[in-house]
Amino acid sequence: MLLTVLAGIPLTISVTAVALVIGTIGSLPLLFGILSGNRLVWLIARGIIDLCRGIPIVVWMFILFYGVTIGGTKLSAFGAAVLGLGIVSAAYLAEIFRGAISSVAAGQYEAARALGMTPRAVWGDIVGPQAWRVAIPGYTTYGIGLLKDSSIASTIGVAEMVFRSNSYARTTGEGITVFLVAAAIYVIVSVPVGVLSRKADEKLSAVVAR
Amino acid sequence: MIENPQDRLPGRREVVRVRNLAKSFGENTVLSDVNLTVLEGTVTAMIGPSGAGKSTVLRCMNLLERPDSGTIEIDGHVIDAERRFSNRELFALRRSAGMVFQHFNLFPHMTVLRNVSLPQQRVLGRSKGEADERAMALLTRMGLADKGEQYPNRCSGGQQQRIAIARALALDPKVMLFDEPTSALDPEVGLEVLEVMKELAASGMTMIVVTHEMSFARSVSEDLIVMADGGIIEQGDPKRIMAEPSHPRTQEFLRAVLQR
Ligand SMILES: Nc1ncnc2c1ncn2[C@@H]1O[C@H](COP(=O)(O)OP(=O)(O)OP(=O)(O)O)[C@@H](O)[C@H]1O
Ligand SMILES: [Mg+2]
Repeated sequence: MLLTVLAGIPLTISVTAVALVIGTIGSLPLLFGILSGNRLVWLIARGIIDLCRGIPIVVWMFILFYGVTIGGTKLSAFGAAVLGLGIVSAAYLAEIFRGAISSVAAGQYEAARALGMTPRAVWGDIVGPQAWRVAIPGYTTYGIGLLKDSSIASTIGVAEMVFRSNSYARTTGEGITVFLVAAAIYVIVSVPVGVLSRKADEKLSAVVAR
Repeated sequence: MIENPQDRLPGRREVVRVRNLAKSFGENTVLSDVNLTVLEGTVTAMIGPSGAGKSTVLRCMNLLERPDSGTIEIDGHVIDAERRFSNRELFALRRSAGMVFQHFNLFPHMTVLRNVSLPQQRVLGRSKGEADERAMALLTRMGLADKGEQYPNRCSGGQQQRIAIARALALDPKVMLFDEPTSALDPEVGLEVLEVMKELAASGMTMIVVTHEMSFARSVSEDLIVMADGGIIEQGDPKRIMAEPSHPRTQEFLRAVLQR
């Protein structure tokens, strides 16, 4: 039984990781959009974010899995799962990053510009690293949430932990234990991530404490 | 009364020329027709009541604020606010002016040494070794040789402001702009910053200093500018203006600050 559940770990982790990568990359254009001074660009980005977040992940997965064909072939279950999770993640992460960037004091941009730094250096060396530190806790919290949300992929047949636990429970009839085992594994995987993130946060804020 | 510094201090090069500077924020006209000239190697103090537009003049000088009209010239780099200008011209102008802020604005995520050396690498293309060496020399000059590996927020306000001065000096600016550099500091801590500024003035640096420190304005600066309501109302010999201000608004302002 334990082995059945454990066999789902690689897919659980890879769905989470790939979705997080898609979401992080996808959040960047949205981020530029909602930081843009151009009203139209802002409105488009805002609209996309609200749309992506507004649709439940499971609905995204169904739409992508049953409704989308690329060049005559359907998306695989894995592809639909990571894309669905990635789209929603992009919208949430764009908001997390926007909040982090707006927490950087206006004086930081001014000092960097007054020194004659190019926009690239202003963002890359001054604002970006400070915003990233602020974003770390929110980002890891989102990542842990995503780990759990990856179980939604079981609904379209991705054989991750919940999918395997479910089929085990159905075939053997002993439901509760197998799900308790799955629950324990989710906790075991996510706790160290949270601890690491808090450590990083403490270390960084000790350095720059005001 | 407005005396041109060129008449009082002849034979000096004009490093800063601001002509017909105007700036509004929406309906609010903050500067109108501001003209000023700063001579090489001189210290110009700028005083005036809150809201007069002193900070806005400084911020327009390095284009942190885009003026509505007028020209800014620093060390031969000219920008006409009403014309398009390239990024190259903009960065050249900013490089020629170093700026020190009331609230220091150090980069909190870098060590003191990196605060001073990173801009040199990014803006002047110096190597890390070269930049670190220059940073160390400047920090030593500021009396902060042992602070290099600290983070800025572990330093006192006076130390932070001296680090900010070192950071600006490291780019070899032609002019230093100070916007109330001691206003956020306790008086005795402010003194250590004023000492550094005096030393800088004595070394021949051209400086424009917005300040409420009347004794600094009187004893260190060669030229005094009084601003009120978005314009320069008086300019000339600091001792003369403080002894016998000609504009009623200056009299009123000086009476208010000197009584404190
Ligand atoms: N970014 C801005 N947006 C709108 N109004 C502004 C802005 N910056 C300055 N102002 C206005 O411009 C006027 C001049 O401000 P400025 O900061 O230049 O005055 P100051 O002489 O430096 O005063 P203080 O001694 O208080 O620093 C004020 O009325 C201020 O409210
Ligand atoms: Mg001001």
